[in-house]
Order: sequence, then C-alpha cells, then structure tokens
Amino acid sequence: MPLTPPRPLSRLAALLLAAALGIPAVALAQGEESLSAPVVLSRVDAHYPEGPPPARDVLSVLLVTVGVDGSVEEVATAESGGKEYDRAAREAVIQWRFRPAQRDGQPVRARIRIPFTFPAGGVGTAPGAASSATVSASSSAAAPSSGSASASVLVPASASSAPIPAPSGSSSSGGMQSATAGQAAAAAKALQPDPAVRAAETQAPQQVVIVGRSRPPSRGASDFQIELGKLREVPRKNAAEMLQLAPGILLTNEGGEGHAHQVFLRGFDAREGQDIEFTVGGVPINEAGNLHGNGHADTHFIIPEVVHSLRVVEGPFDPRQGNFAVAGSADYELGLDRRGTTVKYTRGSYGTDRILLLWGPRSQGRGTFGAAELFDTAGFGQNRDARRGSAMGQYEGKLGDKGAWRLTGQGYSASYHSAGVLREDAYRRGLVGFYDTHDFRQGGDASRFSIAGDLEQTVDDMRIRQQVYVIRNAMRMRKNYTGFLLDVQEPLQNPHAQRGDGIDLQVDSWTLGARGSSRSRTVIGGLPQELEVGYSARGDYGSGTQLRVQSSNAVPYGRDTDVEYSLGDIGLYGDLNVRPLSWLTFRGGLRGDLFTYNVLDRCAQDSVRQPSRTDPPGDASCLDQQDFGRYRDPTQRASTSQAALLPRASVIVGPFHGMSLSSSWGEGVRSIDPVYISQDLGTPFARVRAWESGVTFGGGLGNTHLVSRAVFFRTHVERDLVFSETAGRNTLADGTTRTGGLLSGRWSGSWFDQNANVTMVRSTFDDTNLLVPYVPDLVVRYDGSVYHDLPWRPAGRAVRATVGTGVTWVGHRPLPYGQRSDALFTVDLSGSLAWRNYEVGVAATNLLNRRYRLGEFNYASDFQTEAQPTLVPVRHFTAGPPRMLFLTLGVNFGGSE
Amino acid sequence: MRRLAPVALALIATTSSCVGSTGSEVVDFPVFAAGPVDSVAGSPYEFDTSAGYHVRLDRAVLHIGGVYLNRSRPVQGAQDTPCVLPGVYAAELTSGMDVDVLSPALQRFPAPANGTADRALAGEVWLTGGRVDATEDSTPILQFEGAASRESLSWRFEGVITIGTNRQITPSDPATPGANPLCKSRIVTPIPIDLTPRDSGALVVRADPRVWFDLVDFDQLEGAQGQGELLVVPDELEGQPATTLFQSLRSVSAYDFVWQ
Repeated sequence: MPLTPPRPLSRLAALLLAAALGIPAVALAQGEESLSAPVVLSRVDAHYPEGPPPARDVLSVLLVTVGVDGSVEEVATAESGGKEYDRAAREAVIQWRFRPAQRDGQPVRARIRIPFTFPAGGVGTAPGAASSATVSASSSAAAPSSGSASASVLVPASASSAPIPAPSGSSSSGGMQSATAGQAAAAAKALQPDPAVRAAETQAPQQVVIVGRSRPPSRGASDFQIELGKLREVPRKNAAEMLQLAPGILLTNEGGEGHAHQVFLRGFDAREGQDIEFTVGGVPINEAGNLHGNGHADTHFIIPEVVHSLRVVEGPFDPRQGNFAVAGSADYELGLDRRGTTVKYTRGSYGTDRILLLWGPRSQGRGTFGAAELFDTAGFGQNRDARRGSAMGQYEGKLGDKGAWRLTGQGYSASYHSAGVLREDAYRRGLVGFYDTHDFRQGGDASRFSIAGDLEQTVDDMRIRQQVYVIRNAMRMRKNYTGFLLDVQEPLQNPHAQRGDGIDLQVDSWTLGARGSSRSRTVIGGLPQELEVGYSARGDYGSGTQLRVQSSNAVPYGRDTDVEYSLGDIGLYGDLNVRPLSWLTFRGGLRGDLFTYNVLDRCAQDSVRQPSRTDPPGDASCLDQQDFGRYRDPTQRASTSQAALLPRASVIVGPFHGMSLSSSWGEGVRSIDPVYISQDLGTPFARVRAWESGVTFGGGLGNTHLVSRAVFFRTHVERDLVFSETAGRNTLADGTTRTGGLLSGRWSGSWFDQNANVTMVRSTFDDTNLLVPYVPDLVVRYDGSVYHDLPWRPAGRAVRATVGTGVTWVGHRPLPYGQRSDALFTVDLSGSLAWRNYEVGVAATNLLNRRYRLGEFNYASDFQTEAQPTLVPVRHFTAGPPRMLFLTLGVNFGGSE
Repeated sequence: MRRLAPVALALIATTSSCVGSTGSEVVDFPVFAAGPVDSVAGSPYEFDTSAGYHVRLDRAVLHIGGVYLNRSRPVQGAQDTPCVLPGVYAAELTSGMDVDVLSPALQRFPAPANGTADRALAGEVWLTGGRVDATEDSTPILQFEGAASRESLSWRFEGVITIGTNRQITPSDPATPGANPLCKSRIVTPIPIDLTPRDSGALVVRADPRVWFDLVDFDQLEGAQGQGELLVVPDELEGQPATTLFQSLRSVSAYDFVWQ
C-alpha cells in the first residue's frame, strides 16, 4: 500500500484547522499515514473478581476485534489467567471504545491483543512493564486514575509492539501522546487490518500500569458498585439523583434547589441523610449535630459530571460503615473520563442557565481534574429561584511504585427560595396554584468548603491507607411548615395574635477527621486470606440556632433552640476476609464507635411557672430567672458519651457459573441530635439490626454483560426518628421494622446500557404494627442509554448519537391517618449528538408533563385559608416540577474526539 | 431452582407491602345546629328561670364561628392551656353561620367538617366572627329580644352581644399579661362528648337559650321599672344581667353535641 505524503499547504491548513477546532495533534499526525491502528477512546477498568486478590500476578491476554464503528465486536482469550480473571478482563474490554483502525482514511476492522495483569496484592506493577512507553504512561497513570472502585489493573498502551497513539480520552493516556506518526504507522502495519483480519498476538504488547485504589470487598447482594458509564446520559440534575441507580431509592425535595434531598431507601425515611452514611471519596458528607436533622447531608456541592462511580451498600454490613449507616451508605467516587478542557453551556426552561467547566490533563489519570459550575434558575413556580456555584479539584500522584496520593479541594455556595408545602384543600378551592407558595419568605443559603488528602501504599504484604480532611459547613434555612398554628398565647407573653410559624434556622460547623486502615494478606491452603483493621475519627464543632420569625416582617420573636456543640466520634474496626474454600468466603468483623457530646444550651430555660412580678420575663425566650424571680444563668452545659459495638458478617457462596449466594447480618448505629443530650445520661443513639439474603448473577451474554440480583431483607430500628412539622426537625419515635425484597439488573453491551430495579418493602411500628408513614412500599426505577454512530460521517468523522431515558414509578405511599398518596410516575429523556470535539444535547425532564405531587404529607397547619384556624391534619403537598427542556452545547479542547 | 428460590421468597414476603394502614382515617361529615328540641319553629320560646323569671324569647340568633372536636378533655386542676393546642383536634368546622336557636329544625352549616376518625372527648363552640385571636370583632354573636316577667312585673328586653375589646379582661398579675387572651372568651369548652367522627353520620349541635337567661336578673337592668318598658342589655361586662348573660352564653351546659 503506497503512502502518499500530504502536501505541505494542505498539512498546514489542516494543522490550523485542527488547532482551531481543538483536535489533538496526534490525530493530525495520523493523517500523514494511510494506515493506522485502533486507538482507545474510552476505557473501563477491569475489576478484581470476588474474593481476595491473587497471591501472584495474574496475566490474562485477550484478542479483541475492533469494528469499523470503534466498538468491540469479538473477544477471545489468547492467554488465560484463570476463568474468573479472564471474565473480569472480558467484562471490562467489551465496554471499551476505540477510534477504529484506518486505511487510507477509511475505518477498517482490526484485531488487537490486549493484556490485563492483575497484580498480586491488589496494587503493584507488573513484571516486564518497563518499556519507555510504559514508564511514561505509567507515571501519568500512576495516579489512582481508576478513582473508581477498581483496585489495580493493567491496560495496554497499544495493540502491538510498537507504541501506538495513546488513549487520549482515557485515564491512561499519559506520555503516549508523544508517540510519533511513524510509530503509529508501524503499529498499524503490524495489525493487518481488514479484510484480512488477522491476529497480532505474536507481538509482545506494551503495557501500562495503573495503580488504583483498593476496593473494599463486596458484602454480597446488597453491595452495589455502580459505574455510571453511559448511564450518565440519563437526565439528572444533581449528584443525588445518581443514587436512583441503586434499588429502592426515592428522592423528594420540599425545600428547593439548594435544599438537601429527602432520601427514602428500603423502607427508611432517611430525611436529608440521617439514615444513610454519605461520603465522597471517603470524606463524610453527613453533618453531625445539624439542628435541622442530625446527619443532614446535602450533596448539591458535587458536580455530577465528575462522579465516576458510586458504591451503595443497602444495610449496615461492612465494618467500615460508621455513624448514620442505618439504612446503608453511599460513597461517591470522583473522576473525569473526558480529558482536555470541556466547556458546556445549558439553557433550560424557566430561565435556567448553567455553565460548566471541566478540565483534566491528558497526561494524567481520571482522578486528576478540575470542575466548576454556575447555576441560575428562576424556578418553575412561585418562589423557586435558585443560584449556586460549585468548584471541585483533585490531583492524584504516584507514591513510589506501589502507592498513590490524592488531594481534593472543594467549594460550594448556594442561595435559593423555596415554595414549601401547599394545603391540598387550598389548591382545590383555587386559593393557590399548583406551583404557588403559602409563604414567600421561605428559602435558604448553604455553603461547604473542604479539603482532603489521602495516600495509599503497599508495603510488603500490607496495604495501608490514610486520609485526613477538614470541612466547613454553613446552612441557613427559612421554612414555614405550619403557617400560623404554633404561636399560641402564653401567659407570660404580652397579648398577641398568631405571628407566624416561620423558622429561621442557622447551622455553622467545622469537621475535622481522619481515616486509616491496613490490610494484610496471607495464604492458607493455597487461598489468600485477609485482615483489615482501621479507624475513623472525626470531630464536629458547631452551633445551631432556630428562631421563630413574624410572617409580616421576618423579625424574630422567639428562640426555639440555641446550642453550641462539640461532638466526637471515634470508630475502629476489624474486617476478616476468609476463604476456606475456593467457593466459600466469610467476610466480617466488629466495629466499635465511641460518641462523645459536649453541648452548651444557650437557651436552657424557656419558661417559669412563678415569674417575678417586678421583673416579669415578658416575651423573652431564653430566661434568666427561676420561680419567684430567682436568678439563673440562661445557659447550661451537658456532656455525655456512649460506646457501641457493632458486629457485621457476610457469607458468600460461589460463584458458580456467575451466580453467587450471599447472606449478611449486621448492626448499625445513628447518633442522636445534640438537643436530646442530658448530663451523664447515656447517648440515646438508635441501633439498627439488619439481615439479608440474596443471589447475584454476573457474567457475559455473548458480547454483552449482565448483572442481576434478588435480595430479601429485614431491618429493625430501636428508636426511629420521625420528622415533626411542628418542631421543624426530627423527633424520637418508637421502634420500627422493615421487611422486603428487591430485584435489580444491569445489562450492557457495545451500544446500550440498561439498568432497572424494583423494590417492595413493608415498614411498620413495632408497638402498633401500623405502617410507618411516608415510606414508599413500591419503588421502580429504570435507567437506559442507547448509543451508536450515525450512518453519515461529516468530514469523515463519525457522529455519535446517544439517547438516555429515566423512568420512575413509586406506588401509593402511606400517609398518616390511613391515607395514601398519589402514585408517582415520571419519564425523563435526553438525546445528544457528538461529532469530533463538539456536542449538542437536549433533555426533557417530566417528559409527559404530569402534574404530580412529589411529596405528600398529612398534618395540621393553618395558612389562614379558612375563616377560622385549621387545626386538624389535612393533606399537604410539594409540587413536582413540570416538563422542563434543556439545551446543552459543549466543546472540548485538547481532549480526544 | 436455587436461583429462583430467593426470588420467590422475596416476592412472597413482600406481597403484603402495598397493604396496611398507618391507622385512623380522614373523614368529612355534615354539621347541623339547632335550638332546643321542645321549641317550635316560628313561635316564641317560653321558659322559667332559676332566678324566678318567666321568659319569652321572641328572637334569638346565635352566630357560631366554628365547631371543633378535641381528643382530650382537660383535667380539673391542671395548668391552664392556650386557646388552641395543635395535635389534639379530631375534627373542625371552620365556616360559621347564624343559627336560629328558637327552632328545633336542623340548620346545616354551609361547609362540612373534616377531621380524623379519632375518639373525641370534648367539643368546642367558637363564638367569633373573625379570627379567634383578633383583638376586635364587631360580629353580633347573639341577637335576642323577648320579655320577662316575675310576679306582677314585666320587662321587654333586647340586646346584641359581641366579643371584642369590650370583653377584654385586664390581667391582675403583671407577670402574666397574656393570662386572659380574648380568644378564651370566644371559645366555649370543654363541652363533654364521647364520639368518633365518621364519614357516615352527622354532628348536631344544639344550643339551649334557657341556660343563657337562667340566672339573669332583669330587674337589675338600667331603667328597669317592671312596667313593660323596653330594656337593652348592654354589650359589655357591666352589671349583673350583662355579665351573667355573657358568662352563661359561654357555659358548656348550654350546648349539646349529638352524633346521629
């Protein structure tokens, strides 16, 4: 095949055009040749199979046929590393995307050889990975780019012995960009592309080592490792909505765009996080001591585009799970796949604008990135405007040959108004519109700034990890749940009418903490056995006030709460990973947590039966007198502590032909709100006991991959928390029990990714056997993405089309007083076209424009919609958003096409 | 089979998840008001009082601003409670109307009451035209006219009772300026009841004007001479007739709640 060198002018023009369009230089370089090899555009890391890491390095070499559309058409095993490891490698590689091999500028099929090395112990470099290309790429990719749950994998730099232009869009791109066109051509020649598709397996492959983060061993069927992958295309307005990829999760929000989501999970009303341990990269999100709800977790600061994966454990089954892991835990792992600089602008309904900047050097892994967003919306109804800004940055670096470090910084600030709840009867009588509000003073502000650093390294047979973090949170929330109901005339007060039940709540806190762990490994009976020990330590220092404000002028007239707190939580754990037989694994151990409280109540005295006649307290909220005018200081301090021991265990049988059986049992704990602390009385935390059994199937179906699960679970909570609209925060309730089951499945292939789950649960109070209100007993969720290159190729470049769909169905939720809510059904749809470095997308949320009630409540309120006070419980609701349309334009500079 | 067993178990165990209740239920029901059963519509209502008078009421119209059913009955000797206490109400009727209390016929309130199917132990009649905690309210709560006689003396009387600042009680203790809120003067409570509201059925509130006038000493009305002159009962807390009438108007024994 003769090679025709391009003419200088046309080359210059092409260079200029490429520079203008942000095409990587590598792509141009390839244009010099008439023959080029496939180039990795996007890569999915392989994961270790279930069970302990191997005692020795395992090499699995695959022969992969790359089609003209860049997808993986066929995978064969060239060199087996064992069935489980071959399968893990196949499952990863079928999700890879390539720029296809080209002959004279036309794509052709090609077969390439891809080795996967699974290093012993989970972290390390592979023997023989010492070529210059390897070293170069390794240093760049040494950052724990997998950022994902993967522990450590080897990915090929090329398909042949010659260095081939790197997967610039992948996290392992590294120095491979320096490969010359000549090298690329040499590689391409070695490929023997179609029509004579021929293996190049005789070529010794170049290898790139990626040192990744270790992934905690799975706890069975309720341990969901969720790679967003192409499901990222499903419309999601924030990171919280990604949780819906795990079964049984319903999100509502009665507080507005800047308000934390209320999360329901497996029969738990986790409110704004009280029952779920939220973390991002291991850094806690839950705010211990938050006055609005202990464990309050606002995830709005997470920019969705930089979430690489999620680990959701539905239950307290992992000894690493700490405070608030009652219903389970969710950990966001950050990472940016698309390298280069990406600029996106979104314009949407109701004056919604969003600017997003993303950048990640091509020479670094996905764990190194920066991201910033500005968001502004007028809102879809009265009093729903919001604006926020968020910035996140992370840098990952290599620490020797077997370690990595990471530094993460984040800042977020938001301001919003909130419509709050509407009385159903007022809406039906036409007094308010569906998207109106009863109180225009509702809204809030929130900010979060944090910095965290961690390192992970393998020393001998021990993998150690250490993380430290500092978090600053501030939150103001102005709510009115009950209108004009609670400000009753007290004898001590001067005569007044109802002034309004508006709440002005302010929380400021600092959190300092650290985590550390050590995982040791030995081999017994030819099978690796592990022991991990670790700790978590955090201190929360903050203050909280809740004022009552007049509806007419927002002037405070009363002080409900004024506390200053210092909270400590020291946890330690041991986790065994024992494998007596190749098909039998025991995992579990013991966790211990010590909670300490030191609370200064600045409003310790709020009433007096026999007030001073000469110096009556009048309307003061926090009193400095006892009976008959005796002085007392209005403040009072209380401190207490209590420890909890939490056993957790799992047994996993299998896999047999991809199927595993598992059963788990564990205890979890949720610390209590500081306002409930009494001197020297034990911290009345809530304890949960949970068990579950399930079956998991995971494996390939042709060139597709399927993971499905069925789980049966039961959970008991000793002292549950139920939100009180009158108190404006969570209050203690009796014990509750949840029993249910779920089915879930994710099926993915080279052009589709489908995820669906259904969860049914019955949640009851122990003493009455009545249903726990508000908790959905049926949740169905579907997320699907279909993507493929379109048949026409402008300028010789493929146009990739992607369609994403999200469907939510929630059954009639039980409400207080024997009521049931409306069923909830929404459809979200998105579509996008990507060509070269450009992308245009449209999205529609609530596509069917259903007028639905996102949240429904039954309680007493008086918004003065009747002639006389309304004092009995009636239906309230928060409106779900109507159909909203969004148009997004994006361009990438310096990344791959 | 092993694959299907857990699935089947989960399905069987959770089929009951969509049934069950959180307890109680929400109810709506009509509310009626009426005068004494032995009254005759369109005719004066005559009765003898404990004060020794024979009273003939020619007109008596009571404005009921609201009716509430309370789930708890105050314990005697317990600390005074505010006018309203959220969380203790089983039902409410928030739309008022004028009631001819000289007619035994059931007079239906314009809107139904709503509430929950919880046992109620105390009834409340709210005698107000505006908001119950408003400082001023000129709504005529009771309009009446009639005649009274004792031995050879007779009087004609009429009057209008409102409940506004004219009923404000000055606090005796400066330390508790809010001890006597006006709303307490507007709420007749606790009227002993024992009923559970249902969707089927109706609440009937009967007012008995005999109680209102039972202790009124007409002879103490200003200008009273017993010669059949027309006397006006003042709309303020002044003098035995006006004070007694107002206090009796707020007597729980003047009202009867019947579920039928």
